Amino acid sequence: MVNLLDELYKYFGFRQFRPGQEQVIQNLIARHHTLAVLPTGGGKTLLYQLYGAISHQRVVIVSPLISLMQDQVSRLQYLGSKHVVALTSTLDFKQRWAILTHLQDYQFIYVSPEMLSNPKVIAYFRQLSVGLFVIDEAHCISEWGPDFRPDYLRLGQIREQLNRPLTLMMTATATQQIQKDILSKLGFASQDVQKVVLPVDRPNIFLSAKMCENQKSKNQLLQSLVSKLNGAGIIYFSSKSQAEQTALTLNRQTGKRVMAYHGGMDSQPRFRIQQQFMNDEIDVICATSAFGMGIDKDNIRFVIHYHLPSSIQNYVQEIGRCGRDQQPSLAILLYEPNDHYLQTHLIENNFPEEGLLQYLYQHPDKLTGNDAFKVIKYYYDQHYSFEKIQKTFRLIQQHRLTELNEMLAYVEATGCRRASILSHFNEQISPTLNPKYCCDHHYDFWRSWETFNDQYLKKTPITNLKSRSNWRTILDRLFLLKN
Amino acid sequence: MNSADLFFIFCDDQQFRRAKAIKNILIGRRTVSNLYWALEYNLLDYVDSLHGINFDDIDHTLHRLQQQKLLLLDDQMRVKLTTSGMMKRQQILSKLLPLKYLKIASQYDVSRFLQRFVFATQIVSEYSYSNRKYYPQSISFFEDQLIKKWFIQNKGQQLPELFHQLLTDFLNWVNRDDLATILVESLSGHHFSGKTEEQISNQQQVSPLVIQICWRQLYSCLLLEIFKKKVNEPLTALTTNLRRPIISNSSRQTYDLFIHHPEESTAIIASKRRIKITTVYEHLIEAAIFLPISQFPFQRLINPQIMDKLEFNQPALLGEWSYRDAVNKIPQLQFFEFRLYQILRRKQVNGKST
Ligand SMILES: [Zn+2]
Repeated sequence: MVNLLDELYKYFGFRQFRPGQEQVIQNLIARHHTLAVLPTGGGKTLLYQLYGAISHQRVVIVSPLISLMQDQVSRLQYLGSKHVVALTSTLDFKQRWAILTHLQDYQFIYVSPEMLSNPKVIAYFRQLSVGLFVIDEAHCISEWGPDFRPDYLRLGQIREQLNRPLTLMMTATATQQIQKDILSKLGFASQDVQKVVLPVDRPNIFLSAKMCENQKSKNQLLQSLVSKLNGAGIIYFSSKSQAEQTALTLNRQTGKRVMAYHGGMDSQPRFRIQQQFMNDEIDVICATSAFGMGIDKDNIRFVIHYHLPSSIQNYVQEIGRCGRDQQPSLAILLYEPNDHYLQTHLIENNFPEEGLLQYLYQHPDKLTGNDAFKVIKYYYDQHYSFEKIQKTFRLIQQHRLTELNEMLAYVEATGCRRASILSHFNEQISPTLNPKYCCDHHYDFWRSWETFNDQYLKKTPITNLKSRSNWRTILDRLFLLKN
Repeated sequence: MNSADLFFIFCDDQQFRRAKAIKNILIGRRTVSNLYWALEYNLLDYVDSLHGINFDDIDHTLHRLQQQKLLLLDDQMRVKLTTSGMMKRQQILSKLLPLKYLKIASQYDVSRFLQRFVFATQIVSEYSYSNRKYYPQSISFFEDQLIKKWFIQNKGQQLPELFHQLLTDFLNWVNRDDLATILVESLSGHHFSGKTEEQISNQQQVSPLVIQICWRQLYSCLLLEIFKKKVNEPLTALTTNLRRPIISNSSRQTYDLFIHHPEESTAIIASKRRIKITTVYEHLIEAAIFLPISQFPFQRLINPQIMDKLEFNQPALLGEWSYRDAVNKIPQLQFFEFRLYQILRRKQVNGKST
């Protein structure tokens, strides 16, 4: 029997597991397929990385976001694994070939589901021994989720082709409906899989929301919050341009160092901003909701939503980025009446109009090679009739609108916000929760948020203030010379 | 990226220049027409030197600059600088190294070298602090392999000292604190995060494009500096495979066939190369643009009688002579003959002026 804590220390230098990690790894060592729902997000990579280190087996990780895969490779390398590679459609033919013909050299292989659907690619994978098959963001397999990816539906079949390796399915938040969906779409019976589902509740995050009169007052409130709140923060937007514009304004108005950060950026500036945020040289990041972050920053003190999130699930996942160090942290949702229309509009735009759908059904060749039509193509290939696909889209759209309304109900709630969130996940409020540190229902947060800030939110300790004005001193700092 | 400064740098108050062609020349869209304008504007040495930069909508930018009376804009989106535009031009040029250093970025993939060097610096910097736990930058697969292999082979070579010395010597040679700062702020390392071009541009009060151009110039010079070193120096491995052909490879192949088989028609060359005959002409035009006059047999492609007629009819402003006007006067004139003639004359004029 391995002592997991010893192994954790040996490979990563940590003395303690985060909640849920140990149980998942134990399951895997006992060769149980596992579904892990770990809301904090942080420490998910450690699950398979440590398993790979202990078992010396090869780990194949399916991940949906190409932009994040390279970050994950960096993260694994950061934690000491060197034989890591990402196989995605952004590689050109030569690069792809070089990786495929040397697959056996890598212990950790990230691959996009599109790639694995390619018969030539899967043929290479079939020659490998795969010790663990990891499906990251497993909720993408559910048509009911906002991140539905048809390619994920092939993963059940792909798993068969790989001779049914030990499988770890991971997601940050999943309602019971989606958990069920994940297992059935991957071809598991419920009794074949061990579940490790952590509570959604994060008692160290204080919840608050504010109805503003209009956009102007929302902007003013945002400005004073950002000026005064202690520590590092993230502000979420639903558009890149709004994130960029607000970052510029806040930078000017607040005396804080604010930068935009989103998927549309080139990799080098993205890396630089990540690194600055990590090194506490940036205070606040303006990000788009769809875009995660390639780094684990533990000391984020607040998350502000400038736009309405699309569902409670997404909201919980996004606020989960703050307070990973278990210190008091703050989630704020800012709302003004137009936000509802904006989100409704986004949902409606996400679905093809009847005319377009009809056209595509008459000209199915147009479905190929266009990312925007991926989902339609999937239903078309499944021989859905025009009426049936229309009905399906209407149902999904209705489902999204319902989720949005639940989000709106959260904003308008007059009761405890925590209770409102937890009810979505069939959870109860912990009896040990301090009611004074819960949400703006029990505590008049909006009248005394500055006091709250002083009392609970820790400032980032000031380090690194050495002058960087002189290039010679920068060079001396960059390279530590022996003599 | 905002393109405004591009027009200050690459236009003047003498000649109306096609704005779109200038942008395309610099980001390396090697169409026959763009290359012709590069010849006309004396920008051949800068083709593709701003490789990979995404410019915003230039029409919008140009109209704004026109309103500010910094430039004149005609209905074909051609640009000529005003007196205040020329002053602005001087101001921008003073922030850069002499412009000629940007030419190196046309011959070598300097932005790739920049990425390599920045990544190598991060590795060496962390290594100098004996830190193995850091987030490495993500660059493309082969580049990543190259740098890692390089590091493993050379880490016994006192790399921190070598980098420190190289950069100190180089920045002393540059001899300008503003440019030295722009270079070192692009680097990342142990507890030191590089800055984005936006951040440096705010700090230095210039546009992000100027920062980009400074980086390309500085890294170009640094690259040449490393080339001067001995072959077995650890740093030379960072400079492999950066050379870019002046003429694209496919054009070069067509040209070689054409030169080595004086007896063969363009139709035969097209079938040998399995390309369309119009593509053969495009390749040959590209070769004619880049090669010295003596290396390109213009006479073989332009019928002598046509040549006489072209000479007889040519207007004073050769660049603005359109094929449509020319063919009105010379009905049997082919487009490629017309283009080659323009190239030949332009090169003769350029040759006299330099
Ligand atoms: Zn509460």
